[in-house]
Order: sequence, then structure tokens, then C-alpha cells
Amino acid sequence: MGEAASAAQGNAQFSQLQVTVLSSKLSTVGGLVPSKPDPYAEISVDSQPPRKTEILKKTLTPKWDEDFTLLVTPYSKLDIKVFSNNTFRAATLVGTASVELHGILLENRGKLEHVTKSTELTLEGKGKTGEISLTLHGMNVNMTKFPKKNHSRHAQSHTNGQVASGSSTSSGNTPRRPADGGRSSNRRAPPVPPPPNRSGAASGSANTTPSTTNSPSSRPQQNGDVHGAGASDGTAGAPLAPPPGNPPPSSAGNLAPPSGDPPAPNAGTNNNNEEEPLPAGWEERSDGHGRKYYVDHNTRTTTWERPQPLPPGWERRVDNRGRVYYVDHNSRTTTWQRPTTDIISNYNQWDSWRNQRNMALENLQNRFLFPNPATMVQDDPLGSLPDGWEKRVDPNGRVYFVNHKNRTTQWEDPRTQGIIQEDPLPEGWEMRYTSDGVRYFVDHNTKTTTFQDPRGGQSKGPKGAYGVPIQYERSFRWKLGQFRYLCQSNALPGHVKITVSRDNLFEDSFAQIMRLQPFDLRRRLYIIFKGEEGLDYGGVAREWFFHLSHDVLNPMYCLFEYASHNNYCLQINPASSINPDHLIYFRFIGRFIAMALYHGKFIDSGFTLPFYKRMLNKKIMLKDVETVDSEFYNSLTWIKDNDIEECGLEMYFCADFEILGKIDQHELKEGGADIKVTEENKEEYINLMTQWRFARGVEEQTKAFLEGFSEVVPLQWLQYFDERELELMLCGMQEIDVDDWERSAIYRHYQRNSKQIMWFWKFVREIDNEKRTRLLQFVTGTCRLPVGGFMELMGSNGPQRFCIEKVGKETWLPRSHTCFNRLDLPPYRSYEQLVEKLTLAIEETEGFGQE
Amino acid sequence: MAATRRLQKELGDLRKADLKTFRNIIVDESNILKWEGLIVPDQVPFNKGAFKVEINFPAEYPFKPPKVTFKTKIYHPNIDEKGQVCLPIISPEHWKPATKTDQVIQSLIALVQEPEPGHPLRPDLAEEFTRDKKKFFKNADEYTKKHSEKRPTD
Repeated sequence: MGEAASAAQGNAQFSQLQVTVLSSKLSTVGGLVPSKPDPYAEISVDSQPPRKTEILKKTLTPKWDEDFTLLVTPYSKLDIKVFSNNTFRAATLVGTASVELHGILLENRGKLEHVTKSTELTLEGKGKTGEISLTLHGMNVNMTKFPKKNHSRHAQSHTNGQVASGSSTSSGNTPRRPADGGRSSNRRAPPVPPPPNRSGAASGSANTTPSTTNSPSSRPQQNGDVHGAGASDGTAGAPLAPPPGNPPPSSAGNLAPPSGDPPAPNAGTNNNNEEEPLPAGWEERSDGHGRKYYVDHNTRTTTWERPQPLPPGWERRVDNRGRVYYVDHNSRTTTWQRPTTDIISNYNQWDSWRNQRNMALENLQNRFLFPNPATMVQDDPLGSLPDGWEKRVDPNGRVYFVNHKNRTTQWEDPRTQGIIQEDPLPEGWEMRYTSDGVRYFVDHNTKTTTFQDPRGGQSKGPKGAYGVPIQYERSFRWKLGQFRYLCQSNALPGHVKITVSRDNLFEDSFAQIMRLQPFDLRRRLYIIFKGEEGLDYGGVAREWFFHLSHDVLNPMYCLFEYASHNNYCLQINPASSINPDHLIYFRFIGRFIAMALYHGKFIDSGFTLPFYKRMLNKKIMLKDVETVDSEFYNSLTWIKDNDIEECGLEMYFCADFEILGKIDQHELKEGGADIKVTEENKEEYINLMTQWRFARGVEEQTKAFLEGFSEVVPLQWLQYFDERELELMLCGMQEIDVDDWERSAIYRHYQRNSKQIMWFWKFVREIDNEKRTRLLQFVTGTCRLPVGGFMELMGSNGPQRFCIEKVGKETWLPRSHTCFNRLDLPPYRSYEQLVEKLTLAIEETEGFGQE
Repeated sequence: MAATRRLQKELGDLRKADLKTFRNIIVDESNILKWEGLIVPDQVPFNKGAFKVEINFPAEYPFKPPKVTFKTKIYHPNIDEKGQVCLPIISPEHWKPATKTDQVIQSLIALVQEPEPGHPLRPDLAEEFTRDKKKFFKNADEYTKKHSEKRPTD
């Protein structure tokens, strides 16, 4: 044992250290007849001759309170032995403990002032035999000069090593162990791919090891593991032990600041924690520029961010590939991400959603895409069909009309046929329909075809049911029919069996879906929950999609995060790379989401509208920033609306982004760092900044997601949809309770009985559920409602009820502020005007209604 | 860094302005996102001491506002025990990218010298300030003598 120490002495100076051996608590010792010992303690530095305390008489709780001044180096090890004195024969060893100074010095930044340490006394063959308390005082060294040494040879002597030694300890060749550490050290074999595992405590084999690929030797996890680990956590995570001896093979003591390029850390979020001591194994250092950074000797990594202590019940572990993960003993789950208060509150929010699952699942049963045909006819704004006519839907979901009188069918609605008077086409033009019924134009003059109406001008086009030009009216149903047709015609025969257990849904599903060829996922799904063999006629699959969609979005996996505070839409977490396997998980989730669309199943929680836009390859607009970052949006809007020449904004075409404590600069265009933003080019700047705001930190992940997605469903199949329709397809519609909506609404500069408000609700009652959903998306940014209904609607700053505010002039279109669930409704003069403007605003998604 | 040029300019202007009420500006050259300075009030009851503040700029500055924290204890209705202060000019609703740090500091000094008991972070002090200004001044004065930093001598 002295070997490491003497090696260390080669390059470290000696300091005086005053050690006070305070007291000890001993378990019963002795042979056949238990008796109280006459205890004394010996202390030695690096195997030098020991110093002894006084012998006390007949006590299990000796208090020596004796000072020793020792010569030590920062790498010294103190060995403490407690003996029981015997009058006639040699003293009996009661227990030993050792203390590595280096770890304690790191914790105290090199300065020891009355630092009290309690440590376990153990005895070979007996385990824990007591505890001993020491005070260390008087040492003051600059720890930056004493980097961590490679302590691997000490690994065996930790008092409570958190070491994943890999080798089996079952034969008892580890000399000393914590009382219950024997078993727990055995199952330190942590996860290979360990994203968290929601296996409930209810399941008998509660596995905090979230692995599907456990080595066969690792024994089933038992409760004892959690307690055992908790106990070792309680002793301050081995403060006495050097960092575990399983670091990656980088050269020892060579922990440079986090990669050379990063600029200084942002201290903004740290200042409240300045006073808290660093967790065990961490050290604060300064780089050449005097900037502070933090070394984690446990993982041999560095970061600019000051680490925070783990919350109660959490434990840090290292898997057998040397990767760090965290165990939450409260919920018996694991995660890659070091828990912070934010993450935990996000998790709790997610979890509470999860707990409302049953209710949500019931809601899910009520979700749909097509209202049933009977109500559809009633909702039809054109009134009922003429006598003898019937409306039908073909197998592809496309509507057609049957004329029973002459036994013919046609695509055109007999009620609008001939009513719409269109301007004649220009000379030489002809109107035709594709086999799908889409109108196109043939220009015989140039022998070309186009979908663009050559008559141009929106006002000249035919008007639909709301007096809105038909070209603005999307037919969601028609598009969905096209999509279904593509799915059906690309389906493969047979079925694909996916067997999962409820307790390990994420990992089981991941393993199976990624093992299959993507085209196999287009076969009929046959989902089996282990132990619940039943035939899947769709219901089981529906449940699987629902539960798994909730699990993959669990913020503890670090893959997704809530878009803004108290929002229920998710977006890719820019810090997801903390999960080493994140890209393959995103690929998996891409496949899974595509499967939901392909098989026409709904998922539980959805993404932000800008994320759907990204899927559709649509351009992100300034307005989209508001849904995810209202502060950023406000600043961009301010720049857009104000003359910036005289403001001294000193902005250039580049942007900074902080991720995991590291700030990176990104040039918005080539050479952007030297191009100043001016009144002339600010539009370009705002545009580039908007794109960057959404792309930053998530490009790789998005790419992996889209790759996985398009393996199952080619992205081109979605090209006809807009982002709101895509959300609807994935999440389904709910029947919207207009009474609840109206009851919960609030108004600004309007009264409940203002005529515009009365008109508004009249309009809402008149439109069908799909249009209501669209209106809801327009104002709140999502089609989904809280389980508690409109009263519980959330905005970006907490509860925010649906609000209508009087803004602008009658010529304006209505606008929305999704982060406040607010609709800006100008004081229109007539019901017809309100209907027209509102319809235009909610139908037209881009540029038109919102900017 | 994108924010560097702007902050360097602001820092230069601020140093040039040489305010009597805000001095000893310390900025680590390698980390311009963190400033320290000394608030030196010239009105009772805080005119017997000086108060260290820290200004932290986010990486996204000036798209996001800076944060101001008191490092010296102060007896003030709008500044809590942790040194947090609620300053409208840097709140998310009011923040504009054109707002300069010297405006932030001016508004901070104004708040220190004229407490706003209507929006307190420490309701107990706000109540004392409203009900018994004399007592508040006395307490604040004593507290300042005990806890605050030394005023610059010049």
C-alpha cells in the first residue's frame, strides 16, 4: 500500500497536518463471551510507524480526543487501526479504516480547517465493525498543483468503493466490505444501454439496471441493492476513497480544461450555488486565463459548470463502459443526465401526466379523425343533399356522390355544381382533372400543364362555403385519403410480431423495432404484452402506441424536453448528447412516429408545431419562435419593428449558444462574425436567426429522427399536409366542448356580451369539430387539451385561460399569441366579416394570418 | 463571441462615464459575461456604505436580459436575502435588446435609493418602510454600517 504513496512523495512536498482522533463507535467485539473492549487507536501515514492513543477502559464508545501532528503529502493515505488492549496477550484488532487525503483536499479546495470525517471501521472476514471520527486541520495546499494520480491500485482498498471492478467478488476476495456491500458490489454491473427504466416498484424484479443486455452473470436486481447503495450514498459517496479505478485510459493527472476552444462559462446560473461545497471527487481549477473550471475525478472529465450536489435519494454510478449514469432510488429509475431541479420538476410534470394515463387513455378512445358521417351531414354548411342523392366515402376516404335516380356516381357535389360561376379561361386554355380529382390547367398555346389557375388573383377565384376562395380551403379528408391510399398500396403481406413487457416497454420496443427491417414495420402489427397473450385486433396496438409514445418522451431520457415552461409540447433536447446513444434512439423514435402515422394510431403527447414544420420541410417563420421562446421572440420582433441604426446594438451575423455549460459561436452566414447588422440587412438577420433558433443544438438529432421516420414512411407522402394537420393525424382530435370553452374564456377590452364576442361563439358553434380544432391550434399552438378541460389551459408562464383581446382595425386579420393562449380579434363590423377574416386566418397557416 | 463586441463597447462607455454611484468595475477579461461593481448610494439610509453587485449576461445577450445580484447584504424591501433583485427594466416583459447596461445600473441605483414597497421581495421590510419610515431608516442605517463594504475614499 505504501507503494503508491512513496511514488507520490517523489513529486509532492510535505505539509503538517494535525489529526485529532475524536471518538469511535464499536460494535460488540470479542470471542465467545462478548465483552466491552479496552480500545485504543493507531494512526500511521503511508505505512510509517504508527502513533497511538491512550487506552480507554471497557467501552464501545471511546472518546480519545487526541491530537497528532503528522507530516503528509496531498497523496498520503492515513491508516487507522483500532485495537482492544489485552493485559496478557497481544492486542486484538477491532477494525481498520483508511483515509485518502487527496479526495478530502479536493472537496475542500486544498484547505483543511477542522474538517471532521467519519469513516467505517471494517475487519477482514467480519465486515463493518464500527465507526471512527477524525478531525483534519492545518493543511493548505494549492490543489491545481496536485492532479489526481492513477489510483487504480487502490481500488481494492476503498472503504466503500463504488468501483465497478468488473471481476466477480463472490468468492470473497475483497478484503473489506461495507456490511451489506457484499451483495451490492456484486451487481454493480450497470446498464449497457441504460436509458431510464420505468419498471415500477411493483414488479418483483425491480431493476435499477435498465439493460436488456445484462451479462448473464449479473444476478437479478433485488431491493437490497437499492438500500445498500443508498447506504453507501449516505456516507457521502466515498469521500475517503480516491476516484474509482476504472477511468478511460487517458494519461493520468492530465485533466486539461474542457476542450480548448470554449469561451468562458456563463456564471449566470451559478451564483446561488457558489457557497456549496463540491460533490465528492470534484475539484475546482483555474486555467491559464484564470477561468474556473471543474474536474470530475470520478469520470476524468472537465466542465465549465459548477456541479451541484445530487438531490436526496440519487446516486451516481458508472457502467462497465466507464459511462456515468444516475440512479434515482426514489423512483427506482436511471438516467444519463445529472439531475437538477429543472430536470426533476420536468420529470414530475411528465410523471403527473403519466399518472393521469387512465383518464388520458379514455380520452384517447374518444380521439378520432373523421367525425361520424351522420353528424357530418348535419354539420354540412351547404345543407342536405337534393332528393335521390347520397354522399359516400370510397375505400380511400375520398368523398363521392351517388345519384340513385339515374344510377351514376360523380366526384362533384351536386349542391355546388354549376352554382359557382367562374371567369372564363384565357384563350387556348383548358381545365382538366387528374385521376385523383385535382384540377389542373392545360395551356395549348405552349403545350404545358400547371396546377396554377391562369386566371390568377385570389379574389377572382371561386368562393367556398365561407366566402373564402376555394383555393384556401384545404380538404383534410381528401389529403388523408391520399395518404391512406399510399400506405395501403405500399403495405406488405403478413404481419410483424412485436413482443414487449409492460415493465420494460421502452427497451423491449427499441430492441425489436431496430432489429427489424424498416419495411417489416409496414406489415400488419401484432403486438403482444408478455404475460397477457391475447389477440391483437388493433386495441393492443393502440395501447402500445399510446404507452410507448409517453415513454419515449420521458424527459429523464434526455431525448426531449418541454418546449417552454408549463407547456405540454415537446421538442428535441439540445443536450441529448449526454445520452451517448441518443442518435440511435432518435432514429428509433422516428421509426415509431412513422409507424403511428402509417398504421393510423395516435400518440399521447405531441411535438411543437415548428417541429412538425421541420418534418414537412417548411420554412420556420419568426412567429414560430414565439411558441417556444417568447423572450427571444420579443427581442427579434423589437429589432424588426424599430430602427436599429442609432441603438448601438453592436450585432453581427453570428450567434452564441450555450450547451452543457459550453458556449459556441455560430456564424449565421459565411464571414458573419464581421458583418454588422444594419437597418438594410436586418431582415436577413432576423430570418437567419429564426432558422438558427430552431436548428441550434438539434440538427444531428433531427436528422436521425427524420432518417428513421422516412425508412418507414417517405417524407414525400406528407407533402400535402400542413403542420397542424400533421399534429391532428398523430394526436387525433377530441370532441371539443364548446360550453366548457366559452365558460373558461376571458376577455380584454371586450365584454362577455360584446357583439364581436357573441359572433365569435356563434361562429365556433357553427363550424365542425375539425375547424374548431384548427382554431384551437391557431390560438394555443396545439390541438390537445389538458385533461381538466379549458379551465386548466397552460401558457408559457403557468395557467393561462383562453383569452380574446380587442386589437387593431376591422381590416386586419385576427392574430394569435400561442404562449398566452390569446386571440387578437379586431372589432369587425358584421358577423360575415368576422367569419371571413377568422376563417382566412385559421385556414391560411403561413405568412398570411399571423405576421 | 457574439455578445463580446457589444459588451466591450458598453463596458468602455461605462468606464468613461466614471459614475460616482457605480465604481470599481471588475471584469475578467476572459469572461466578459460576468461583471462586478460597487454601488455607492449618495442618499440616506444607504449612504454610509457601498454594495457589491454582480451582473451576469446570458450567452444569448442581448436577446435575453442580464441578471443582477447583490453580493453585499442590504436592508431593502426590493432585494432579498439571496441578493436577488426585481428590476422591471430587465424583466422578460420589458426587456429590449437596445437596453444598455448603464441604464440597468441607473435604474438599479434609483431602486436602491427609492425603495418600491409596492412590489417587495421582502414584505416585512416593505411594511416597515411604509408604516414607520424612521424606524426603517434607522435599521437600514445600522445594517449598512454593520454589513456593507467600505466606501471608496476619493
